[in-house]
Amino acid sequence: MSSATPGAGAAARRFDGVDLQVLWQSIISTVNEQATALQRSAFSPIVREAGDLANGLFDPRGRMVAQAVTGTPGHINSLAMGVMAVLAEHPAETLSPGDVLITNDPYKTCGQLLDVTVMTPVFRGGRLIAFFCSTIHHSDVGGYGIGAGGRDVFEEGLWIPICKLMVAGERNSDVWNFILSNVRTPDHVAGDLHAQMASAAVGAERLQALCDAWGLDDIDALADEIIERSEEATRASIRTLPAGTHEAEALLDLADGSMVTIHCEVTVDPEQGEILVSYEGSSAASRWGINVVRNYTHAYTTFTVRSMLNPEIPNNHGSLAPIRLAAPEGSIVNATSPQPCTARHVVGMFLPNALLKALAPLKPSQAMAEGSGAVWTMQVSGSHPDGSPFITAMFTYAGGVGGRATKPGLSACSYPTGVAAVPVEVVEASAPIRFLRKELRVGSGGAGRQPGGDGQTIEFLVDTEREWQLNAVTSRLTAAPQGLDGGEPGAAGSFCVNGEPVITQARLSLGPDDVVRLDLPGGGGYGSPAEPGNGDSAS
Amino acid sequence: MADWRLAVDIGGTFTDTVLLDADSGRVVVGKELTTPANPLEGVQAAIASVLAMAGVGADEVTAPIVHATTLVTNALVQRRAGRAGLVVTQGFADTLLIRDEHRYDMYDLQIEFPDPPIPRQRILELDERVNARGEVLTAPDAADLDRLAAELAGTGVEAVGVCFVNSYMNGANERAAGEHLAQALGVPVCLSSEVAPQIREYPRMMTTACNAAAMPVLGGYLDDLERWLAEEGFGGSVLMMLSNGGVVAATEAARVPIRLVESGPAAGALAGTWYSQRLGEDRLLCFDMGGTTAKACLIEDFEPALTSSFEIARVYRFKKGSGYPVLVPSVDLVEIGAGGGSLARVDNLGLLRVGPVSAGADPGPASYGRGGTEPAVTDADLLVGYLSAEDFLGGEMPLEVGAARTAAGPLAERLELDIESLASGIVEVVDQNMAASARMHAVERGVDLRGVTLLAFGGAGPVHACRVAELVESSRVVFPVHASVLSAFGTLVTPVRIDLARSLLRPLADLRSDDAEALLESMRSEGRRVLAGAGVPAAEVRFRYGIDVRYRGQGNEITVWLGEGTDWPTGDAETLAAFEAEYKRVYGLTIDDVPAEVVTWRLSAWAPVTGVAPDLGAPAGGEAAPIAHRTVRFGRDREPGEVAIYERAGLPAGTRLEGPVIISEAETTVVIRPGWAVEVNADGSLLAQREEAA
Repeated sequence: MSSATPGAGAAARRFDGVDLQVLWQSIISTVNEQATALQRSAFSPIVREAGDLANGLFDPRGRMVAQAVTGTPGHINSLAMGVMAVLAEHPAETLSPGDVLITNDPYKTCGQLLDVTVMTPVFRGGRLIAFFCSTIHHSDVGGYGIGAGGRDVFEEGLWIPICKLMVAGERNSDVWNFILSNVRTPDHVAGDLHAQMASAAVGAERLQALCDAWGLDDIDALADEIIERSEEATRASIRTLPAGTHEAEALLDLADGSMVTIHCEVTVDPEQGEILVSYEGSSAASRWGINVVRNYTHAYTTFTVRSMLNPEIPNNHGSLAPIRLAAPEGSIVNATSPQPCTARHVVGMFLPNALLKALAPLKPSQAMAEGSGAVWTMQVSGSHPDGSPFITAMFTYAGGVGGRATKPGLSACSYPTGVAAVPVEVVEASAPIRFLRKELRVGSGGAGRQPGGDGQTIEFLVDTEREWQLNAVTSRLTAAPQGLDGGEPGAAGSFCVNGEPVITQARLSLGPDDVVRLDLPGGGGYGSPAEPGNGDSAS
Repeated sequence: MADWRLAVDIGGTFTDTVLLDADSGRVVVGKELTTPANPLEGVQAAIASVLAMAGVGADEVTAPIVHATTLVTNALVQRRAGRAGLVVTQGFADTLLIRDEHRYDMYDLQIEFPDPPIPRQRILELDERVNARGEVLTAPDAADLDRLAAELAGTGVEAVGVCFVNSYMNGANERAAGEHLAQALGVPVCLSSEVAPQIREYPRMMTTACNAAAMPVLGGYLDDLERWLAEEGFGGSVLMMLSNGGVVAATEAARVPIRLVESGPAAGALAGTWYSQRLGEDRLLCFDMGGTTAKACLIEDFEPALTSSFEIARVYRFKKGSGYPVLVPSVDLVEIGAGGGSLARVDNLGLLRVGPVSAGADPGPASYGRGGTEPAVTDADLLVGYLSAEDFLGGEMPLEVGAARTAAGPLAERLELDIESLASGIVEVVDQNMAASARMHAVERGVDLRGVTLLAFGGAGPVHACRVAELVESSRVVFPVHASVLSAFGTLVTPVRIDLARSLLRPLADLRSDDAEALLESMRSEGRRVLAGAGVPAAEVRFRYGIDVRYRGQGNEITVWLGEGTDWPTGDAETLAAFEAEYKRVYGLTIDDVPAEVVTWRLSAWAPVTGVAPDLGAPAGGEAAPIAHRTVRFGRDREPGEVAIYERAGLPAGTRLEGPVIISEAETTVVIRPGWAVEVNADGSLLAQREEAA
């Protein structure tokens, strides 16, 4: 790898294992602190409840140097790819102090319009030395809203092209007006954009102080050192794996009966120290908004590989580089404009099911059977007796996770994200919804030497005299999570209203007496049930 | 006329007693091993020894005995809690198993969760329901309750918890069920609407379950204790220290034992509070670094920072989310590292890392000579010259320099450094880690640590405090006298106090309503009742009011304290201004046009403690003179140099020494870095001040 042009003076120094640790840890602490502050102050419910944000430091070439450890892999690694795309249109040399860039281009950044990326350049001695960037899941960008029902990206909401939110420290008022005029909750969107810029400003201040303390004119040499060491360590860990290609396939079905095939082929090249993941043979893009852009596919792919291989190496340009991706353009894992993509998490969060299976022979101790995949998402809207409207924030539920080589699967627990469920009492306080049950779906986890985790059963209704709407995204209703190494499949999910299966992906209109029942899938078992395991029942 | 006050603290290893004569200020301290099988034995021994030392009879102790204990936490963590049952709303029996569905470590495929304190087979469902507005949709049926009582009796429960959906809005169904079950079963019953009346069913149910499981443990112990005290002729009642740093009567503590979950550590934080008052420091960061943990607690406006929830029984010590969440107002004490036993290693990126793996007490650091083979922080402290090989722990435990060098050798070689440079590196990395953790914690609280004064204690705290202070951009460190004694003092100088919290949504612009009035009045009468139990007349009870507020649409609230009074202390405009000021302090901005709403109402009922002025012992007279010199290195980029060593006991008040200087004492070593100066206060404490950015 070529090294950056060394800056003047002290920036040319090399760092030993002590100085580098101190500097690196300082940078990681800075981005973590910024992420925490951003999460605490966010309006967007999914940001503060689930940590649905990403926050990182990038070098002037757009290479990610450090990143906060936050809630969902999708954002985290998408941001790593997105910054390069932004710089391709707005090169670093065209930026001035006080400029701030913004975009939600789904195909260039994070894969859905709700994810808005804000980039703040940091200048030192008149020279651009870094960017602080964040992506957060905003509460609204107009259009269809959350859910898979948008017919194309234009129907899904406002597209903010790559542009300047701030110009030399002044608001770019046309851009602000455009954005805030096209969203349902302008106060919240403006508040969250301010929070994103404020967190970058504090990060920039901390970076300047670090450069002062260490006598650095820029962070080029530091970035090189961090990226090189991460890349070398990642390649070294890949070199310990046997050469070869492993393929696997997993099936995902949706409420309307459509079936998505994820086919993956993992090739280990120990000589180069590289892993190539190819999704050739996966389904074509869907008519529903579940299509995944390349960055997001890359995000879940690198996340899954790294969680098995070397989770201890921090996420940055170097640790991601040796994991290469091939995804056919126009397929469900590499969507192009105008294919809709708001509910891309359904497929994105499903990718590890296929990938883990292909990776299992490489690291048997880390093997895990298929699980329920993406969390099911719900949003309810309607009107109060006085006619005033209500709408809940999105609430999510998790099914069972697959059995593991040496442990049972986790019941009703998020995987691969860390998303927390919104408490029943919080949902009930926000709208006239009433839950009849939220309990484990006992026996839904597949049998195995290590059984799969159980899914859960949820029933709710709305105490209303009027019609109400349900925007639900569910999956794995017929193709059950498969077991691994002789384990049995978990139970498939079921999504019913008054006992009748729902067979559409679109928003439902329901009435006062309607009861919604969700039976979330159980995880697949690991190993033959005939062999005794060493774990107790999943908890 | 002597006025003896007695404090007892059952810790994990030792049971401490402190006897203080409030009249003369005389202090006597006792220490005995804790006896986990029957904790009362250790308490009896520790009380007997302190009374004997002071020559005081049991009947001379007439003031309430203040008691802190880790009994509740240890019982829950070690799964030695009572056999409890839980009754919940139909359809919600698995809530403790489903948790919040959150995955606390995204990258770790092998994560696990602790089993709940009450197993699923003793969790029973009842057909009842209250809606989110607090309206009863289905009231409990007596026949159903009889059936549940019979079933619970069959499982041999010693206590029962009741937790229904939306009971934070209306606890009527819980009360009805609780009364019925208590009568039918004859065991203690606790209600979630009394233990933790706050929205969010999972943490409320977990808190209730932990409370029910702790009831038999604490109740049994307190009965035994009070019986023994009466037999011995003690005159005072027993007050228990709560997690929030307040104390309440033993009977009240037995009713809600989960409030004692951080009882022991809270006593320690109170020492910091006491010191902040004594020094007039309105912001103080307690920095306690021992052999196995380093902890920090922020004291603001002379009170310890509190947190409204707390996590116990973590599967992974440093991973938030891997334990039981409990809604208990607690002193916000956080672990910021693994202490002097933290081990250094080189990771696969070629970087020097320190911790989280620790050598613990056995074998301990390599220089203890008990078989440790990897270099720990204590070994590095020895190699850079901070510690003396001969005088460690007052000379009781000499350290082996050779063993420390041998342990450090392989790491030094891997990093291509000499041993001294590696040792300096280990010290720097651990200081950086602790400073970063403390700063991260401050960010989570919305606090800026810069400029805060540190109070350093624990065996390793005074060794590392000045550098940690530099890293959090602070320039003052206080080293108290006999930190272990101070900690026990905390219990003796604490006011009687209970903190209550109830959820009720109200717009901030229109705060007052009949609902809110009724809520506040019920909280005030609850406060009076609890304090009456601790012997405080109703007229002396003072009320402090707080609210948890958010902008509508946000999910996190900030707590705003509004002042004191027998009635609500502020007008709406004043309340709004207080919220905006606090929000701006935490987030740096306010958000106009978005209405704010109150989620939770807080009431702190308390009564001031009568003044006590412990005599900590005066410093020596005469001239300060170094007892030795040794070579010390204060960082990798500095040359080692000769540094004067003083004995703390030999420093007269008013002495001022320029750093670098080292002051040794029996329990620890105070390291004053270059660029700092230190002065000896009249009470013997040391005040270090950073003179310049050296």
